[in-house]
Amino acid sequence: MSFQVMMQQLGGGLLRSIEIFALTLLFSLPLGLLVSFGRMSKNRVIRSIVWIYISVMRGTPLMLQLLAVYFGPFYIGGLKLGATWRFTAIIIAFSVNYAAYFAEIYRSGIESMPPGQYEAARVLGYSKGSTFFRIIFPQVVKRILPSVTNEVITLVKDTSLAFSLAYAEMFTIAKQIAAKETSFMPFLAAALFYYVFNAIVAFGMERIEKAMNYYT
Amino acid sequence: MMKKVLAGVLCTAMAVSALGMVSFADETEAGSAGLATDGKFVVGFDAEYPPYGYMDDNGDYTGFDLELAGAVCDLEGWELVARPIDWDSKDMELESGNIDCIWNGFTMNGREDSYTFSVPYVDNSQVIVVADDSGIESLSDLEGKVVGVQADSAALALLEEDGDQADLGATFGELQQFGDYNTAFAELQAGSLDAVAIDVGVANYQTAGREGYSILDESLNSEQYAVGFKKGNDVLCETINSDLAVLLENGTFDEIAAKYEEMGIPSDMLCLAESLGVKAETEAE
Repeated sequence: MSFQVMMQQLGGGLLRSIEIFALTLLFSLPLGLLVSFGRMSKNRVIRSIVWIYISVMRGTPLMLQLLAVYFGPFYIGGLKLGATWRFTAIIIAFSVNYAAYFAEIYRSGIESMPPGQYEAARVLGYSKGSTFFRIIFPQVVKRILPSVTNEVITLVKDTSLAFSLAYAEMFTIAKQIAAKETSFMPFLAAALFYYVFNAIVAFGMERIEKAMNYYT
Repeated sequence: MMKKVLAGVLCTAMAVSALGMVSFADETEAGSAGLATDGKFVVGFDAEYPPYGYMDDNGDYTGFDLELAGAVCDLEGWELVARPIDWDSKDMELESGNIDCIWNGFTMNGREDSYTFSVPYVDNSQVIVVADDSGIESLSDLEGKVVGVQADSAALALLEEDGDQADLGATFGELQQFGDYNTAFAELQAGSLDAVAIDVGVANYQTAGREGYSILDESLNSEQYAVGFKKGNDVLCETINSDLAVLLENGTFDEIAAKYEEMGIPSDMLCLAESLGVKAETEAE
């Protein structure tokens, strides 16, 4: 296999990895916020359900969750799985898993805000909703960005788990080329691709951090 | 207010997912000819298994088995979908109808109860690969050595307890399971494995691509490859069997086989003619 074809194949795999990455972030970041509200809810039932959800998501391997989401409808519900279900299942499993981690990060940020700010906002006549979204949340985002960056970078590397559902993302392609060529070169190339992708992500997150650093 | 928003979003999420369920249930009416989807023949294979199924120089999936599957599709007017799968999940993929068959150097012996098999088309054997300088020359030299074997492979089934070569397996220092052959050969090279138990066709391919390895003359067994279908899918199995007979008759089978002769599947491994009973006829003539 020529170097060019190998790069093309790995590049195609990278695009499929990025697809998982982008969609997972799109769904899990807002979902995580919702889950964190549930985790901090005054209603004990909601709080316990969300606590169990987070506990299961963090306590079992993502690969197992992928298999459960994908094959669950067939083995439990007896439904036939369509061709589009494969990718949908991957995105659902990733989003639901990452939302649990993001929820705890959001919670750490929200609970770190001093109560004085809520009191001041009430004195100034802010409603509960606008207190949260105009005053608390922007500060929370600033505080949690470094932790979020950690998770986001982990997500880039976790995309390789999608192969347990026969989805040909980059690492799968690298393994296939390595088997054909009986060589470890493709792994080196894949490592480089991952590193560059993560470097870009880290750079982007740093820029966002700087942009939000408006008080100093 | 927050609770209302929360409830609203949750309801929407549920509604959307419910819609999703309905639509994917509709899409997949069982097709005719035993295929999960009409006109599409989805072949599950391990893309790290040259020369039977792998990625070629152009980045397309090919291999002896996939080319055969392609020839079958040409006969039937089906579209071939080559679906690389995680070997560990092959049963779930087949069971749930995501793939129509496993066609990938798939050993039928010992698995007859779990799958419906086509006629066998390749005579395979499980062999031992060692480094040239290891000093291992026969199976008895393997005593106390670390032997690698692919997880859930036919070689593992042989060497494990209750396998046909369990006595031999018991003499090993350790039977180490690994995921793919590339890793196993790297371990062999690095010295953490003394030998690898492997299908002969794959062994031919792997030793040809590397320096300093050889295959022991004594093999562990002889067995056969066939196409594996979901247990009870006789309709599809019959179709493939009669297609294979046609491919043998019109020379396509030998044509495809000739391409892989140099890649680890010598012609004396082919057994389709024998299992279809054609060979006897031609010899009689």
